[in-house]
Amino acid sequence: MHYHTSMTPTDRLYETLKSAGLDFFVSVPCKLLGDLIDRLASDKSIVYTPVSREEEGMGLACGAHLAGRRPAVVMQNSGFGNSVNAVLSLLNYYKVPVVFVVSHRGSPGEPIEAQRMMGSAIVELLRVADVTCVEVTKPSAMANVPSAIEQARREGRSIALLLPFGFWAEQ
Amino acid sequence: MRRYEAIREIMKAVTDQPVVCNIGHPSQELFQLADRPQNFYMLGSMGLASSIAHGLALSQTGKVLVIDGDAAVTMNMGGFATIGHTRPRNLVQIVIDNSANGSTGFQPSFTADRLRIDAIGRAAGIDHVDVITDETEIAGAVAAALASKEGPHLLVIRTETGMPEGVKVIPLGPIEIKERFMRSISQ
Repeated sequence: MHYHTSMTPTDRLYETLKSAGLDFFVSVPCKLLGDLIDRLASDKSIVYTPVSREEEGMGLACGAHLAGRRPAVVMQNSGFGNSVNAVLSLLNYYKVPVVFVVSHRGSPGEPIEAQRMMGSAIVELLRVADVTCVEVTKPSAMANVPSAIEQARREGRSIALLLPFGFWAEQ
Repeated sequence: MRRYEAIREIMKAVTDQPVVCNIGHPSQELFQLADRPQNFYMLGSMGLASSIAHGLALSQTGKVLVIDGDAAVTMNMGGFATIGHTRPRNLVQIVIDNSANGSTGFQPSFTADRLRIDAIGRAAGIDHVDVITDETEIAGAVAAALASKEGPHLLVIRTETGMPEGVKVIPLGPIEIKERFMRSISQ
């Protein structure tokens, strides 16, 4: 994929998710992901809705997969914590592949001390939950993301794109 | 009327629509009463049956029916907020309210006290809400909701607590349940 240098990190993230064929998005608000969520909400070619809680979003994503769509849940890493049983007992058990677009709160640059607890645990939590974790440190490092999403989809696995504060620092 | 009789009456009105069913005894009763490929038996993730049906409803145009329970929807009450926001016209959400957590030993649920699921649904912005207490009215109400051009519909069916003897565990694995469901709704 060719990127223009004027593209923002959000532009690149949005284009990457679209090029991976994702067509069903749910989200829980996040300041870092806010611009992406605005783009998704105004995209008439996909299904998008906010959800009340990330665990609920796992249910909607499962339903979307059952109907043949390619779903994603946009959330903070704390939201993965809210969803652990749904990821294991629903998505993994039925082999429902979902893409998690996750802001890595608690990563370097985090201003809120309380975010450090989930922030330092998230990579290990994803591993234990058998979710593929791709840490995307900067917008220019997403070339392989669509193929990683496609591989996870073929295997019936969910995959998390973990985006640290530094991802949004690079223009 | 127990949940078992309520599910029997619901399935009299269902034709080819997909049905998502709540975890545990409700799914086992549905399997025994009316197994079909268009049934999605949710084996884990209590609370998410209505959310799975919601995702299905947003993803395609056909009617989707979910058989959920009062304690299960209480676990995921935010799900009402989201359904009230997207208001999918093709979603028929049935909550069987037996005022108990049946699958874990019939401990009383919050509707045994003051909680009213229909009031939650209305407050969330769901316009078509009905409460059914008479077994003979179930099939007609479900058929009307499935035929309606409006929606979403929330039908709360109040039942007695308890279930019949001898309802068996579903002999299907998760992948089999999923694959036959997906094949059946893509036809």
